[in-house]
Amino acid sequence: MDIQGEEGDFKVKVVSHPRYIDMAKCIACGACAEKCPKKVPNEYNEKLDKRKAAYVQYAQAVPLKYAIDEPNCIYLQKGKCKACEKFCPTGAVDFEQKEVEREMQVGSVIVSAGFKAFDPTGYSAYEYARFPNVVTALEFERILAASGPWMGHLVRPGDEAAPKRIAFLQCVGSRDMNTCDHPYCSSVCCMYALKEATIAMEHAHGGLDVSIFFMDMRTTGKDFERYYEKAKKQGVEFIRSRVHTIAEKPDKGLRIEYATEKGEIKIDEYDMVVLSHGLEVAPETIELAKKLDIELTSSAFTASDSFSPVATSRPGIYVCGALNGPKDIPYSVMEASAAACAAAGKLSAARGSLVKHKEVPKALDVAGDTPRIGVFVCSCGINIAGVVDVEAVAEYARSLPYVSFVTNNLFTCSQDTQDKMAEVIKEQNLNRVVVAACTPRTHEPLFQETLQAAGLNKYLFDMANIRNQDSWVHAGEPEKATEKAKDLVRMAIAKAALLQPLQEVRLSVNPAALVIGGGIAGMNAALNLAQQGFETHLLERDTQLGGNARLIRSTAQGEDVASYLKDLTAKLEAQDGLQIHLGAAIKDVDGFVGNFKTTLAADGAEKTIEHGVTIIAIGASEYKPAEYAYGQHPKVMTHLEMDAAFMNGELDPARIKNAVFIQCVGSREPERPYCSKVCCTHSVESAIHIKDHNPDAQVVILYRDMRTFGERELLYKEARSKGVLFMRYDVENKPRVAAEGDKLIVTATDHVLGRDIVIEADVVGLASAIVSHRAEDLAQMFKVPLDEDGWFLEAHQKLRPVDFATDGVFMCGLAHYPKPIEEAVAQAQAAVSRAVTVLSRKEMYLSGTVAVIDQSKCVGCGVCWTVCPYQAISEDEKGLAVVNEALCKGCGTCVASCRSGAPNLKGFTTQDVMAQIEALL
Amino acid sequence: MSDTSNFQPRIAAFLCNWCSYGAADLAGVSRLQYPPLVQTIRIPCTGRMSPKFILQAFRKGVDGVWVSG
Repeated sequence: MDIQGEEGDFKVKVVSHPRYIDMAKCIACGACAEKCPKKVPNEYNEKLDKRKAAYVQYAQAVPLKYAIDEPNCIYLQKGKCKACEKFCPTGAVDFEQKEVEREMQVGSVIVSAGFKAFDPTGYSAYEYARFPNVVTALEFERILAASGPWMGHLVRPGDEAAPKRIAFLQCVGSRDMNTCDHPYCSSVCCMYALKEATIAMEHAHGGLDVSIFFMDMRTTGKDFERYYEKAKKQGVEFIRSRVHTIAEKPDKGLRIEYATEKGEIKIDEYDMVVLSHGLEVAPETIELAKKLDIELTSSAFTASDSFSPVATSRPGIYVCGALNGPKDIPYSVMEASAAACAAAGKLSAARGSLVKHKEVPKALDVAGDTPRIGVFVCSCGINIAGVVDVEAVAEYARSLPYVSFVTNNLFTCSQDTQDKMAEVIKEQNLNRVVVAACTPRTHEPLFQETLQAAGLNKYLFDMANIRNQDSWVHAGEPEKATEKAKDLVRMAIAKAALLQPLQEVRLSVNPAALVIGGGIAGMNAALNLAQQGFETHLLERDTQLGGNARLIRSTAQGEDVASYLKDLTAKLEAQDGLQIHLGAAIKDVDGFVGNFKTTLAADGAEKTIEHGVTIIAIGASEYKPAEYAYGQHPKVMTHLEMDAAFMNGELDPARIKNAVFIQCVGSREPERPYCSKVCCTHSVESAIHIKDHNPDAQVVILYRDMRTFGERELLYKEARSKGVLFMRYDVENKPRVAAEGDKLIVTATDHVLGRDIVIEADVVGLASAIVSHRAEDLAQMFKVPLDEDGWFLEAHQKLRPVDFATDGVFMCGLAHYPKPIEEAVAQAQAAVSRAVTVLSRKEMYLSGTVAVIDQSKCVGCGVCWTVCPYQAISEDEKGLAVVNEALCKGCGTCVASCRSGAPNLKGFTTQDVMAQIEALL
Repeated sequence: MSDTSNFQPRIAAFLCNWCSYGAADLAGVSRLQYPPLVQTIRIPCTGRMSPKFILQAFRKGVDGVWVSG
């Protein structure tokens, strides 16, 4: 509502709207939604189906709590109904809730208000509003989803018939000034169209043809180009054309008229058309930006400079996600961590000051005692008891071996039941607990906490899932559901009897960091870490800092890189707690998260650094071309060479009369099947630089797809308006460059005329690929993987973009994948943020669910340490396998792989699982 | 083959905690209905899945084993 103050001391007023459901009481049983008589179009499924006025936005919502939608609630609008209140088993419905205003005092603010999908209703040529079988890509996404209106069956909304031919139209609401004033590229639509097209074909099992109408296919992200190639192989048809009109046929199919690249007019018919609509900032977000007093770009995204990519124009307010420029999930997640780093940077002194610690009593030693199992059968109001005969299940449990106490609770998870459970455990001297209720994925931690409070080791616990996987899914068969509940309880008890207390190893954390690589990413990571008060070592193999940035003239936004680098270097040199090791190489690495020991060789001497985390930022290098007369003529230059020549004056842009740029040199080729992401923009920048100094110069860019994603599209537009010529070529028919004396002759086939064009050029710029260092040694030393192209492979491409599966090791910059400077800086901040989650702890506890090797059975064959995905098993001095608990994630692959049965997985031992199987029937 | 119209197959499902087990929970939240003949054993990862578990389940008399992760 309102924000006052300044960086370090903001007062923020927020208003919480009433949800009319008490979150503390709601158990997400859904009774309110079931009984609510009011049907409302379901926004989650893009209004393709209905929800109730009492609802949960989607099944995966966190927290899983219902809400009542005020404008649609019959009681709140008309004063009568309250069906939800009557049927709510926990009394959670509260119509007395009022709007609450709160004031918060904070040091930093992060804005992540996101985007709105472009609404094509007003786009008359595509008739989205009139033709039922013209849908948006978001609607199509919901149609394909298992949780969507047709449970994932591919049908068209008009008549629910299965389509045989689908067309995707790209750039709807993007790269378009005529209908929507959106000159930018939305960055994500090419990829989602490919995804939806391939998934649709999979869902249709062969009976579907898909065509994608596009201008440039912009698959710039990691592994995206491979995805594009795969879609081509799967049979998706790609048509390079912008469709001008859609007409409806009598059978509600659609007729598309378009012009091919060669200018021929064609007509195709489809059953369904999907509009790949772009991203835009919602009007209410623009209002919010005004309130916050932060600057927006001409496209209404937040304005930020390339060197502080998540900072807004107002100090102390940071931004992440699509509001900061159109972007996909991995980049948004990465920016979120970056914003957290930036927001926490100046507040690091206050870190942990509001944290409360909980005392846990010491666990009793019950190892070796006869199991005394307590079974708590939950009714979950009527959620379980409405279907399953819980009394019968409890009665049955009493008859099972080692069970010494059974009870049935209305709500096992409620606080009073938890208190009672802790008492019962003590009174009845229970040493194992089984709860038959909902799912361990949400409730296991809660019950484990109760065990701990009662002095029991938390691993002496198991759950029988008789709600999510029984009463809720077999609602019509109460007797069979009761039998199944008994089966599930029997299995849980059989396992519980065998459970052993597990210890969680305590690790101390050394609050120091090692950053490997002194390019822009590594420098930013090191500076941020040291500024947050952690001892930091920055290692660079070269004799000076800066990496590739030393050779770059300017960013896409026109900022001068050299002066930035000079300032940054000075800041690093002056920073307390930061040691820079130049000309250094890593000799050896020992240890794991919290406690690494790395041996460096620098200046002919070796030294050992102890550190708790590692950030890998080793960068990448520019590909040296083997074609286009590179090396045969001094004026055939790569981008970095041309930038260096511009900067040192060897190449005067004012004196260039004819320049040609060739794109995708070494990228998007069979040996390097990826897009290097930055080169299209770089060529456009250099072309504009030449045109600005000599407007009469002829500048030609030969390209395959112009990939000026996001707001870079504006640069592409500027280049065209300044007279830069863009000519497309096919990879099968590449341009040719010949050095004839001093002259350079470039020959390319014009795809419109179908004829060769010969250009005499003074200079030829090659948009050369970015290639990885393929640092296998380093990867092995830190036990982290590389992908096929030699980039470091993150733990999860979407959700953990700067982490490795190995704890305590993070990455940023080009080591991960080609990227522009602002993305490298954001990624550096993200890596710092993730690293601080480790460094800010004095100690950490490892899970007790880890593998253990019975060395008396081990023959040292090495299968387990080969298959271990975390490299947690090694060969000891006797040649036998040994598990490093700090690295083990408890997947159990080693157990399954061993023919001698030497490994076992605590908490999921072979005996545990076998006991469950024994108890199956 | 004998008449299968009344065949009520018992199925043991070994589901990975991180994906399929969660999906089975979501099926519940979405109230999708299926026959009560599937019993789940939660495993930490399908990497944990040993062929012995499958054999033992069949030996116990289940009609089908479903491993998902």
